[in-house]
Amino acid sequence: MIQMHAFYVFLGVAGLLTAVFLYVALSTRNARDINIQSAYSLRKRLFFIVLAVLLLGMGMTLGKTPYPKGNELPDKVVFVVGKQFSFALSDAPITNDQEYEASTFGAPVQVPAGSLIEFRVTSFDVNHSFSVYSPDDHLLAQTQAMPGYVNRLRVRFDQPGRHYVLCLELCGMGHHRMRGVFDVK
Amino acid sequence: MTAATGEPVLWNEAELAEFRRMTLVWGITVLLLLPILALLGYFMRLYQSGAFSGMRAEWFYAVLTLHSLGMVGTWFVGSMAGVSYLLLKYARPSLGVSKFAYIGTLLGVLLLIACTLGGLFGTGWYFLYPLPLFAQGVWAPWATFTFFLALTILGVCWTVWTLDMLRAIAQRYSLGAALGLNYLAGKSGPELPPLILITTVSLIVSLSGFVAAVIVIALFAARALGVNVDPLLMKNLTFFFGHDLVNITMYLGIAMVYELLPAYAGRPWKTNRVVALAWGAVLFLVLFAFFHHLYMDFAQPTWIQKFGQICSYLLAVPAGVVSIFGTLALVYASRMKWTLASTFFFLGILGWGIGGIAAVIDSTVEVNFHFHNTLWVPAHFHTYYLMGVVLIILGFIDHTGKELSGLEEKPSLSKLTTALLLIGGYGFLFMFYWGGVHSVPRRYAIYPREVMQGTFYARVAVGFITLLLVGILLYLWETGRRCLKALT
Repeated sequence: MIQMHAFYVFLGVAGLLTAVFLYVALSTRNARDINIQSAYSLRKRLFFIVLAVLLLGMGMTLGKTPYPKGNELPDKVVFVVGKQFSFALSDAPITNDQEYEASTFGAPVQVPAGSLIEFRVTSFDVNHSFSVYSPDDHLLAQTQAMPGYVNRLRVRFDQPGRHYVLCLELCGMGHHRMRGVFDVK
Repeated sequence: MTAATGEPVLWNEAELAEFRRMTLVWGITVLLLLPILALLGYFMRLYQSGAFSGMRAEWFYAVLTLHSLGMVGTWFVGSMAGVSYLLLKYARPSLGVSKFAYIGTLLGVLLLIACTLGGLFGTGWYFLYPLPLFAQGVWAPWATFTFFLALTILGVCWTVWTLDMLRAIAQRYSLGAALGLNYLAGKSGPELPPLILITTVSLIVSLSGFVAAVIVIALFAARALGVNVDPLLMKNLTFFFGHDLVNITMYLGIAMVYELLPAYAGRPWKTNRVVALAWGAVLFLVLFAFFHHLYMDFAQPTWIQKFGQICSYLLAVPAGVVSIFGTLALVYASRMKWTLASTFFFLGILGWGIGGIAAVIDSTVEVNFHFHNTLWVPAHFHTYYLMGVVLIILGFIDHTGKELSGLEEKPSLSKLTTALLLIGGYGFLFMFYWGGVHSVPRRYAIYPREVMQGTFYARVAVGFITLLLVGILLYLWETGRRCLKALT
């Protein structure tokens, strides 16, 4: 799970930094003059190490963004509207409040497992966040639902089951109870 | 006192005494706001733990708004007041402007309290367009108006304060000199204190942030008058402003460490070519790193998203290689005088570093896809603040209070205070990080079934916050006493 990998990286680097700070703090028990040129030389090496790590990180991740790629077509499109305080999902475009109400209270949309699904997400009022949770409650994917814009979120679902959608962008008093639902078959 | 130009900085004793008093007033005000705003945060985590299940969720969102704006504002003015005081050695900032900013800040704070606790205005600190205009009956139009009036008053007085400090610097240093261009050109003089370099960079950035805020408020007014406004433009402007404000709060705190830590370590910290280059890089990169707040707006062009990640990553270079390494080199094997203040400076730089690591990780688009708007976000910025710039500012207030009151600290009490703040603080933060890793959303009053582990994490966090609050109270007792004695 990517969240846990990121957490291990964080713990590792933060732990290393903390250890260095502790080492430096303890070093003041044996005060002595330091060679400033050695310090500058160490800083130069640190610069190259930090830059190399960051460039490596960029190289590994910049190509893996969740944005739609022009050279692939989705297998299925699901239309999503966020509105205070529910998400409506539908196989057909949702263009007005009546269609929004019907889609909110209708049967959950079904998407085939393994297929590339494109959610076309917008909002009828304020910013929301269309955030998809797996059946075992991990945050799988998200995009903002912004009035006047359609964000296209493409996801492939491997795990069948009911997927809930929560709103992760503060949108008013009902923010924490705003949800949507769809099924992966 | 002499400036780097060799000309004397003309302060008479009465003027200096007045400035010291004003600094103490700012410091005491920060110390009064800290426990109030911290208790609001305590309320929020208690609410999330299920402690106030009978209370409407609107209260949570109103308190969230006040806590977040209050803290951002408090530490901004704390940083500004601290730097303004340290600037006296090199320039002549205006006491009158500082007083004007103080009155404006108090007025703004009162109005914020009115609209949130009085009016249940609950948009969160970044009041994302068009949410303030979609109250759903929770807050009245007067609350929305009062909120924007508060922001306008705060914005005006803080912009004037920023301009005055830049004016004071400009009267002693040319812009090029203040940005360290002499060093970049290979010259070694005239000597530029790091405080001037970092403050100049920070205030230029904050000025641009305030300009963005003015545009945001004006466009909100336009929308209220029926003009269509682009929400993506508003989001970009809002996060440009907010990102700048919180970053320069931290950079001004770093400036205080560059200025004050050397005396404790018994070693100098001077500007040189590398330091000038680093802060020049910060000036450019920090203006564009804000794009990392909009990664989940897929409507934003992809090249901008990637540029945001590159700038966010590269900001780690001047921070880590120059400021953090510089702190470590300054202190390493030195005859370091470990007091509460110097310990807080040292630990504050560590906290800034740890928060920065979490921030760089989250500024990776691929990772942000899973961390955006989860508890990882408050985890990293609370680390930057609580264990970073807050420690630095509290260290500055203690340093100044001790200097002006003559009252010494009790080492055992200082150690206990530090231990409580560290254990309570990092324990509280860990529960945020852990929540983020486990997909718990931020800004939820109540955790639904899918993320109900958030309720347990909040309960654990409450325990750590209790320790943190005891530490804060001990600090306030000791340092508050010193500041009040110095004032009277």
